[in-house]
This record gives sequence, C-alpha cells and structure tokens, in this order.
Amino acid sequence: MRAFFRMITFALQGIFRNFWLSFVTTSVLFLTLVTINAVLVLNVLANASIRAIEDRVQIELYFVPGTSEDVVKSVRGYLIGLPQVKDVTTVSADEALASFTERHANDAEILAALNEVSGNPFGDALRVQAEHPEDFPFILEAVNSPEFSEYIKDKDYADYQTVIEQLSAFTERVYWGGIGLAAFFGLISILIVFNTIRVAIYTHRDEIAVMKLVGAKDWFIRAPFLLEAIMYAFAATVIMTIVLMFALFSLEPLITRFFAGVSVNLSQFYVENGIALFFAQWIGLSLLGVATTMMAVRKFLKT
Amino acid sequence: MITLRNVTKTYPPDVHALRGVTFHIEPGEFVSIVGSSGSGKTTIAKLLSAEEKPSEGQVIIGEWDISRIPHYQIPTLRRQLGMVFQDYKLLPKKTVFENVAFALEVAGDSSKHIKEIVPQVLKIVGLADKAHRYPRQLSGGEQQRVSIARSLVHRPKIMLADEPTGNLDAVTAREIIELLKRINEFGTTVVLVTHDRDIVNALNRRVITVQKGEVVSDVAKGKYHLG
Repeated sequence: MRAFFRMITFALQGIFRNFWLSFVTTSVLFLTLVTINAVLVLNVLANASIRAIEDRVQIELYFVPGTSEDVVKSVRGYLIGLPQVKDVTTVSADEALASFTERHANDAEILAALNEVSGNPFGDALRVQAEHPEDFPFILEAVNSPEFSEYIKDKDYADYQTVIEQLSAFTERVYWGGIGLAAFFGLISILIVFNTIRVAIYTHRDEIAVMKLVGAKDWFIRAPFLLEAIMYAFAATVIMTIVLMFALFSLEPLITRFFAGVSVNLSQFYVENGIALFFAQWIGLSLLGVATTMMAVRKFLKT
Repeated sequence: MITLRNVTKTYPPDVHALRGVTFHIEPGEFVSIVGSSGSGKTTIAKLLSAEEKPSEGQVIIGEWDISRIPHYQIPTLRRQLGMVFQDYKLLPKKTVFENVAFALEVAGDSSKHIKEIVPQVLKIVGLADKAHRYPRQLSGGEQQRVSIARSLVHRPKIMLADEPTGNLDAVTAREIIELLKRINEFGTTVVLVTHDRDIVNALNRRVITVQKGEVVSDVAKGKYHLG
C-alpha cells in the first residue's frame, strides 16, 4: 500500500513537474477523442436521417370502393401480424384521395386523369410501414395472395421503389463508410498516441537509468509511468466530455433546425450512452497508453 | 569484500576492454583505480555496479557473484552499494531531499524513517539548508554532495566513486575527496576510479593501475604512475 501511494505521488509529480510535456500528451489524447466523437456524431446524424426517411417510406393499399370494413380490418390484421411490418394505419376514402392528390401534385397527367373521374375513385386504404425498406417487396407479395387481391384496387409503391433501393444502398454505404472512417482515424490516433508517449518516455531515459542505478526494481520504475498514462487518458476524457456537453448545448438547436422536422436526439444519444462512452474512451485510451508505455520503458530498462 | 578473478571483458566484435584482471579488496580499504582514458578502469566500475557482466572470470562483491547474478537481484545488490558518478546522476525534477529519499523509497522504507534519516545525511554532506532546492539550483560540488548523500542513506559497506571529481575545480574536488575519506573512516570500503594525479598522490593509499585492460601495478601506498 505504501509503495502504491508512493507511485501515485511520483506519477502526480511527473505530471505537474513536466507540465508542458503533460500538456502536449493530454492534448494529443484529447484530439484523438475529438476525432472519435466526430465520427460518432456523424454516425448518429446519418442514422437519424436514414431512420427519418425510412419512417416516411410506406405502401398505400387502395381497396375497391365499397369493400366492407370487415375485409379492410382482416387485411390490416393479417399485415400487422407480419414481422416485416412496423405499423398499419387505416385511411378513409376521402383521406386516401387527399393523400394521393398531394403526393402527385407535380404530376399533371395523373391529376388530369383524376379530374376526369367523377366523384372519389378511391375506397378505403391502408398505409403500411415496413420495419426495413428491403421488406416492401415481401409485403407486396403477401397482399397479392388470392385471398385479398380481389379487394385491392391499387398498390401505390412504384414511386418509392427507386428511393428505397437508393436508400438501402446509401444506408449500407454510410455503415461501411463509418466503419472505414472510424478505422482510419482510429489507426492514425493510435500512431499519434503511440509516438507521443514514446517521445515522453524518451525524455525520461536518463532518469530511468538513474533510478536503476540507485536500486529501483523494474516495476517501481515502470508503475508511475503507467499511472501517468492512465491519468493523461482520464484528463483527456474529462476535457472531451466537458467540451462535448458545451457543444451539444450550443449546437443542438442549430442541428435540429438543419434537420427540419427530423428528430435527431443527439443529446439523447449521449444521455443514454454517455457513461458507457466515457468509460469506453477512458479505458481504451488507458490501454493504448499502458501498452505503449510498457514497450517504451522496457527499452530503457534493459541496461 | 571485492574480488576480481581472471576477469576478461570483450565487446563485440573483438574489443578487449579487460584481459585477465585479478585483484582483491579488503573491507575498510580506500583503493584508487587509475589509468588513462580507454585503459579499462570504467569497465571495472561498470562490472562492480553490475551494469556489465564479465565475458570470462569472476567478479565477487560480498556474497554476490556478478557474473551469475540474475536480473531481478541487481536492484538489491545496488542498494548495498553506494555509487557516485562524474555527472552526479541526480533526478532533475526532484528536490535535494527527494533525490536522497528516493534511494530509501525504492527499498520500501517508511516515510517516518525517511524523514529522520535524510536530514541527518544532508547534514553530514553540508547541505541541510538546501534540502528543497532542485539540482539545477546547485553548484557542481553541491550536486556531487547530494549524490554522495544519496549513496550514504543505505549505510553501504562499499562506496564506488567513478571519476567523482571529473567535473569539479581543484578546491571543490579536494572537499569531495575529504568527504570520501571521512566516509572511509567510518568503516565503508571506498573504491575511487580516477585519472586525477594530484588527488591520488595526496591520498597516499592503495593504488591499482590499469593499462590497456590489464593491471600493471598494485601498490599499498602508491602514487599515480603510468608506465
């Protein structure tokens, strides 16, 4: 216990008596965390955008006018029982007409055709949301069954087909791009942290030699440097957390305005995952620092 | 106390720093090992502090055989040796007190004991009033005194001084040698590695002369003389 307190004391002395070296090391660790959090925030924003678009993509099933309410209910019940279906809303004939008109507001041909029909050509409709965009073909196939097909006049999905395909491809690209970006910056960060700590230890090489000459055991020399690495990681993580909190408070209104109408919930993400992220970043940086310190100190302990 | 038996030290590929060196030092002796640059005297100092191992032969210090000592036992050996160097080898970011205390801290001594013993040792070397200064705030002579104080805290049976006056003016050098003589009078064996003729001649103690890696003379009350 006495030795442990001594090592803590030595580590703190090392940090404060080599202030500029400590400042530079902590800064590099902090910048590493900035990179990681930037990738993280981009990922959250991209996911929120995709989720928002996914939520808006839906199939509308228009029933033959005069279809009984029981049939509509039974189709709804069948669809809602499918694991691929997220939600099914019933839309009245009037609402269906209004929705169709709104969605094709820029398509003069369709609107002209609609005007030529007297009265409301729509029956009731069901608005179906899928769990995933790639589930729509399956859902369409499901309602094509002979049991229901005679009651369904039209399926308004074709307009979304391209969007869904593009969205699926985009989602995948964002996912792999995010992983690639995180791996790339992660690698750069590891190299920077590795070199910074090596330089920091290099400046202590004479001290390490002196410690050995006065009879210090290897672990007694190594431990304060390891504790320093853990303390640097802690300081960088605390600073990052404080900066992030300020950034979230000041930028969230701007982000919400930018993603008009889309619920991004960036602060919610950090509220839910903040503690886990704090420890993950601290432990991650500490492990990196400890591994680098072990390697760097070992070189000077050989003499 | 210290025995070198047919010691050879060869650095790759074929640099022979020492060849067949043999001598014995009794407890309580004050021995100067002299020689010109490259003669092998610093290699002897490195063997005695276990910084190097002999290529052949035996180096015995007390009960330790340096040629066979395992790595993990070297710190224990060094705590029983007092070592003083030409470049002082102080920790620059620690105060005088902390530098001296460090030698006790590595051995796990209690803070209470450290607070008692360090001021006593600093008093012996005349630095009681400079305990809280950093090495850069001291003169060369004062830094060497700190180094001696650090080597004394363990009450070592052997003190190894490798060119302790090499960076000091003549007056300060004499003061340091006087300090080593006092330490020797208390019973500590002192091994002084030096090429300072005046100091060796003034000491009038045993002198081992090394040339080209070999012991060329070993005189009980010798002078500095290079053949």
